[in-house]
Amino acid sequence: MSEYISNPDEAREFQSRYKNLSIFIVVTLVIFVLRLAWLQVIQGSELRQFSEKNRIKQNKIAAPRGLILDRDGKALIENLPGFEVVISPQYIEDMKQLAEVVGPVLGLEPAKVIEKIQKNKRVNGPFALIRLKDNLSREEVFRLKRVRLDTPGLEIRESIVRHYPLGEDGAQLFGYVGEISKNEIAKLNEKYRSEIIFEQGDIVGKSGLEEYLERKIRGTDGVSYIQVDAHGRETVTEIPNIYGEKIKDLDSVHGNSAFLTIDRDIQEAAYKSFTNLNRIGALVAMKSNGEILAWLNAPSFDPNYFATDIPVRIWNKLTSDPFKPLRNKVIQDHFSPGSTFKPLVAVAALQDKVITDKTVLNAPGRFFFGGRWYHNHNKNGEGLITVYDALERSSNVFFYQLGIKLGIDKMYNYISLLGLGSRTQIEMTREAPGRLPSSEWKKSIRGEEWQPGENLSTAIGQGYVAATPLQMALAYNTIATEGKVVKPFLVKKVVDHDGKVLFERFPEVLRDVTLPQPNGYKIDVDTFRIVKEALRRVTNGTRGTAKNLKIPGVQMAGKTGTAQVMSFTADQIYAKCESRPIHMRHHGWFVAWAPWDKPEITVAVLAQHSCHGNPGAAPIARDVIEAYFKKYHPDIIAEALKKGDKHAVQIMHVPAEGD
Amino acid sequence: MALRGLHVNERNFLNRIDIRLILLILCLNVIGLFNLYSATHGPHSRDVESLFLQQIIWLLGGWTIFFIMTFLDYIWVNKIIWVIYLLNVGALVYTDLKGKVVLGGQRWIDLHFFRYQPSETMKLCLILILARILLNRNSTGRGMGLRELFFPLILIIVPFALTVKQPDLGTAMMLMFIGGTMLFFVKIRKSILAFIVVTGLVAMPIAWKYGFKDYQRNRVLTFLSPDQDPQGTGYNSIQSRIAVGSGKFFGKGFRMGTQSQLEFLPERHTDFIYSVLSEEWGFVGSIIVLFTFAFLFKICFEIGLQARDKYGALITIGVTAYIFWHMFVNVGMVIGLLPIVGVPLPLLSYGGSGMITTMAGMGLVSSIAYRRYLF
Repeated sequence: MSEYISNPDEAREFQSRYKNLSIFIVVTLVIFVLRLAWLQVIQGSELRQFSEKNRIKQNKIAAPRGLILDRDGKALIENLPGFEVVISPQYIEDMKQLAEVVGPVLGLEPAKVIEKIQKNKRVNGPFALIRLKDNLSREEVFRLKRVRLDTPGLEIRESIVRHYPLGEDGAQLFGYVGEISKNEIAKLNEKYRSEIIFEQGDIVGKSGLEEYLERKIRGTDGVSYIQVDAHGRETVTEIPNIYGEKIKDLDSVHGNSAFLTIDRDIQEAAYKSFTNLNRIGALVAMKSNGEILAWLNAPSFDPNYFATDIPVRIWNKLTSDPFKPLRNKVIQDHFSPGSTFKPLVAVAALQDKVITDKTVLNAPGRFFFGGRWYHNHNKNGEGLITVYDALERSSNVFFYQLGIKLGIDKMYNYISLLGLGSRTQIEMTREAPGRLPSSEWKKSIRGEEWQPGENLSTAIGQGYVAATPLQMALAYNTIATEGKVVKPFLVKKVVDHDGKVLFERFPEVLRDVTLPQPNGYKIDVDTFRIVKEALRRVTNGTRGTAKNLKIPGVQMAGKTGTAQVMSFTADQIYAKCESRPIHMRHHGWFVAWAPWDKPEITVAVLAQHSCHGNPGAAPIARDVIEAYFKKYHPDIIAEALKKGDKHAVQIMHVPAEGD
Repeated sequence: MALRGLHVNERNFLNRIDIRLILLILCLNVIGLFNLYSATHGPHSRDVESLFLQQIIWLLGGWTIFFIMTFLDYIWVNKIIWVIYLLNVGALVYTDLKGKVVLGGQRWIDLHFFRYQPSETMKLCLILILARILLNRNSTGRGMGLRELFFPLILIIVPFALTVKQPDLGTAMMLMFIGGTMLFFVKIRKSILAFIVVTGLVAMPIAWKYGFKDYQRNRVLTFLSPDQDPQGTGYNSIQSRIAVGSGKFFGKGFRMGTQSQLEFLPERHTDFIYSVLSEEWGFVGSIIVLFTFAFLFKICFEIGLQARDKYGALITIGVTAYIFWHMFVNVGMVIGLLPIVGVPLPLLSYGGSGMITTMAGMGLVSSIAYRRYLF
């Protein structure tokens, strides 16, 4: 390395060159400063005016979201024309005056209006539009139009109001829309990267199908460009315009519409039955090929409130309600299936040859195992019974014995074939997987060995087992169809605005469990037939737990169930249910299909805190099935009535003895 | 000063490091981040919002490299610069063949976590390789003749040609300016300087006719008379001038610039970042930034003068030229003194490759300061 310092000539040369470069830099900077002074100080006012007088305002034309229709094309979600009032903050001249003019018209305190504008400016930046109120009434529009010209920044725009004709009915399924929040902007832009760009002010689906179908039904927003003056009012300036002429407006593209598998008539029948009995809970009805016909949760909310600004009072009430009206319990919550689990255990036991349909077991009123007593709900017991009687009367003791004979892992291996313990993959977000325990599961989750006593509680659907109503419907549907596990689905097809079909889904059998499955197990058709006959007797036998429920000309098969909400001692369990505070009462279940031999429809009803499967849940399922046959097979019912099938017409609501 | 006259190694850390250099860079960083936040957070700019956070990450990376460079003796670069230079030329060739095309230019290699722009790092490589070659050239007397210039010129022309081909005329021009400044600094014969000027004048019309692409010709024409086609080619230039001018003396305020927030300004976060600053902070803000740069150059020159060896002095000149020419072309373009050329403003524009290169260059200068003579 040559040390140039040691060469004085070179050092001197460099010093003079530094000087030259410095001079060059200084001259450059002086020129720059002079130029800046010329632009910003001397021409500043002129150019400022230029920037203020000639602004192109981008107005977003929100695309109408697609309609949601039922299987017959009847509207489930539609659009209504409306008006909204928005503020462009950069054009506001006198915020106080604006608030005082606009506030009274909208029924808002002027201070609230100012607060809202300032909050929006803080959160979204000084140029973001503020939607003060949408879904304006005629009167509000009229009064606002009169003050508009004297109130810079104020604007009335046409908007689209999402309307839910069914109101509360199925609200958790259909979901609702609302203005996108700051967090959602980032989240949705990440999720739909390079497909849709979300911006502040956009209306998006917040839950249910509105959220799930966002990409399909959203449409493409348009843009209109208008030249505005410094107050945001449309203008034409005399200065030749350097932006406007060549920029073309972009029309919005109407969102695609979705046809669901839902049948509005059945949906409404289900809602009517649920509300008439004043029940809390969830219901799902599906065709045997997997098409969902009805889906509801109670209590519910009216999404039409959400289409505009949700009043805080209503929102607080909804979120603090202990029975969770916003939750989609059909798939988002899981519950102990109670006795509705017994047919699945029966399938496992029959298939594993632990019993046959002729095996007779003694089923007394209580059963001693592992040092303690396990109880039957009928204290007198059922005596010597077969699997048919055990399911018809819902004997606990019979199934305790099956639980012991099978052990948890065999139960797990057979019953998992029917879909319990795994998500159904229906087109909805946040589906719960449910829980089907096995000894391995307990060891990995809890680090404990499986206790023999737990076989007993599992066999009657208590303990760790938990399922969503949709999973229960699917499991029973598999029994009804003798082994065909179908894919449940909600969206039949999506069509664009011209009616062109963009997407269509057809019923699909995911697996046939009469053939050996990956875990090495299978279930024979004969096994299913035995259980089907047993479940037919539940509604048709002389001692069936739902024998009071009949539909003229149609034989149902199903099973009642009661799920304990909390543990009680044996003698407390049934004696006092109705007298307990409501949140401590048992959940009632009923899962059924019809006709029992050639299934068309499967229904699962969960009636929370109704104490019994029947009359808690079962009458609702009956009503739904009846509505289905009245619509699709009116001849069967008419014929049966003509024959005077007295027995069939008789519908009694007798409180069931047990479960 | 008690430390005066002590051997380099005997001075302690804080006295060796040039704290003024660090403060000036930090000052530009802070201004840059405020300004970038405004430029990326308009009402319709969701697509660029995340760039602000990315820039902070680049900045942290940049400072890490800065300090690594500071504490390493810059002599080590001399040993491996050939390898780095050749690798960088290789990357340029690869980019020309298979690079990622964005906005009509094929300038990037997609590394998945970020897009690497080899022409950006080439600037620093060129500085270092020229410093090494020019070390052995005599700076006194008549200066370098054709024979002595031949090799350095090849080293400049190869990356220059590869960058022109992308096409990225702005960056190519930067390579030429940086290299030219270093050659001039070492001294070129007067006859050759005259020859270059004459050739340039002759070559200009030829290049205009055959070498330039349509859009490049348009930019120059637009620069000469911007109001001819205000909708098309003159749009950027006019919008930028309106933005700068409308800032007036004190500016419109943070995030209040209508030209940038309402998206009249193109490329707000990269090439036209200075317009955003001028609009929102006015004459005062614009001047402060220019003065900060001026101080930075002054300190760099001081460091160069006190450098331990010629190698350090040449590197300092190269890095200073790098920052100066970028500032010169960028600000000149934004305020309407030069045609529109896509060149970022160091430390203020968004850009990962640029930020890392700038900070690495400043790190080298800092390293030279760390090892300078103090008398």
